[in-house]
Amino acid sequence: MRLDPGVITDSWPLFVEGTLVTIQLSVLSFLLGLALAVPVAALSMSRHGVFRGSAMVYLAILRGIPFIALVFIVHYGTAASGARTPAFWSGVIALTLFASAYYSEVIRSTISALPPGQWDSGRVVGMSRLQTLRYIIVPQSLGSMIPPGVNVTIMMIKESSVISAITVGELTYQGLVVQGNTFAPFEVFITIALIYWGITLGVSRLGDRVERRIGRLQKSGRPTGGIAARYLTLTASKPVQ
Amino acid sequence: MTQPDLSLRATALRREVGGLRILDDIYLDVPKGQAVCILGPSGSGKSSLLRALALLDPLADGFVTIDGQAFGRELSRDGIVRRQSQREVDRIRARIGFVFQDFSLWPHLDVRANISLAQRVVLQRPADEIANATDRIMDRLSIAALADKHPGQLSGGQKQRVAVARALVLNPALMLFDEPTSALDPELVGDVLALLVDLKREGMTTLTVTHEMSFARRLADRVIFLERGQIVADGCPQDVIDTPSDPRVKRFFSLF
Repeated sequence: MRLDPGVITDSWPLFVEGTLVTIQLSVLSFLLGLALAVPVAALSMSRHGVFRGSAMVYLAILRGIPFIALVFIVHYGTAASGARTPAFWSGVIALTLFASAYYSEVIRSTISALPPGQWDSGRVVGMSRLQTLRYIIVPQSLGSMIPPGVNVTIMMIKESSVISAITVGELTYQGLVVQGNTFAPFEVFITIALIYWGITLGVSRLGDRVERRIGRLQKSGRPTGGIAARYLTLTASKPVQ
Repeated sequence: MTQPDLSLRATALRREVGGLRILDDIYLDVPKGQAVCILGPSGSGKSSLLRALALLDPLADGFVTIDGQAFGRELSRDGIVRRQSQREVDRIRARIGFVFQDFSLWPHLDVRANISLAQRVVLQRPADEIANATDRIMDRLSIAALADKHPGQLSGGQKQRVAVARALVLNPALMLFDEPTSALDPELVGDVLALLVDLKREGMTTLTVTHEMSFARRLADRVIFLERGQIVADGCPQDVIDTPSDPRVKRFFSLF
């Protein structure tokens, strides 16, 4: 087999542009998806059946349909309703919805994996459910949310390639353009694969670092960092000596 | 209808799970300073009773009064039952010290933070008062040296002391202990007993679920025997344990 490096070197600006759009899509959907996942997870853990039921329907729909169908439904659905959403933003909306379903399940399952005694122990000292969640449950769960959260993030980044189907100029779309010009699919897709792999590897490394940092903070109980670190170890409750 | 000399009054407590009566019409008055031990076969509802007194589980019926204060539901003057808001219930719950069988310490916080958290977020004591109260309770329970340790670094006996400190520092009206010896090595039973006797000497009301007969004999002013969610014997330890009149209680103690 003969590889032609010229295929890549001649079109590198397209690959760079595509990579940047993929990163934009992923970062936006990560932030928005996580923000949306918190209320969905709260609903799915509610004591009220109506709230739990609505969260279950939301999750069942989003996890039960192929992502490409979701992308088309969002894009052409909003178009049919009169709103002219740019393709990029349709992509962000679809990816956000998709990610929110999986992130909310990560949150819910991690929290419900804690021993139920941890809830009771917050309640018996007079804390409300919300205070128990804030001071007892969430700080303990954050560390263990990271590995499954990284999995979902990696899956989401790879799924973003599907958004090429609505002509968003992300990495896969640019690859298809280059392939159309050069008729060299092998070179093009090896390159794309390597770029996706690099991005996801970076995400996974970052996740490991954050997880280790949380673990270290909670073991030492002597954080030096900012608000997040103080929250995790509740040093504000310590007297100044 | 306040009873200033009562730490606890339970009236007609009933709890049902899937049609099964876990607690069946429990009436219980506990005067201030009394040490009560709750005995009974496993599955008789001992732990359920403690949890019910702290309103940790939903009750089918009944009232609880802590230190003369209605807890959960109250009767107004015209005889209408009013359900207290969740906020009121949470607030009154802080008046009960509860030590769990597995202690349920907070593993992400060191010992000092375990003891000070509720003082800060529930009682909203000022910082210097929290520091003082925490130091005092740690001294009293001989755990001052553990202040910076995390629960994962503690032995079972130390964990229990931290759990007791965490509850006691909130100045509860009474303390509930769920099987305080069952998660500990047998040689520590004496320490737990000494701790509870100390509390009793200081006038603290305690209700202790236990399997240790010797414990009940040496600590209790009063022993309650539960069977199938009902109180079937209630009296001083000698009467209930040594000369039981109820055949179910007799059968149980003949096993020891």
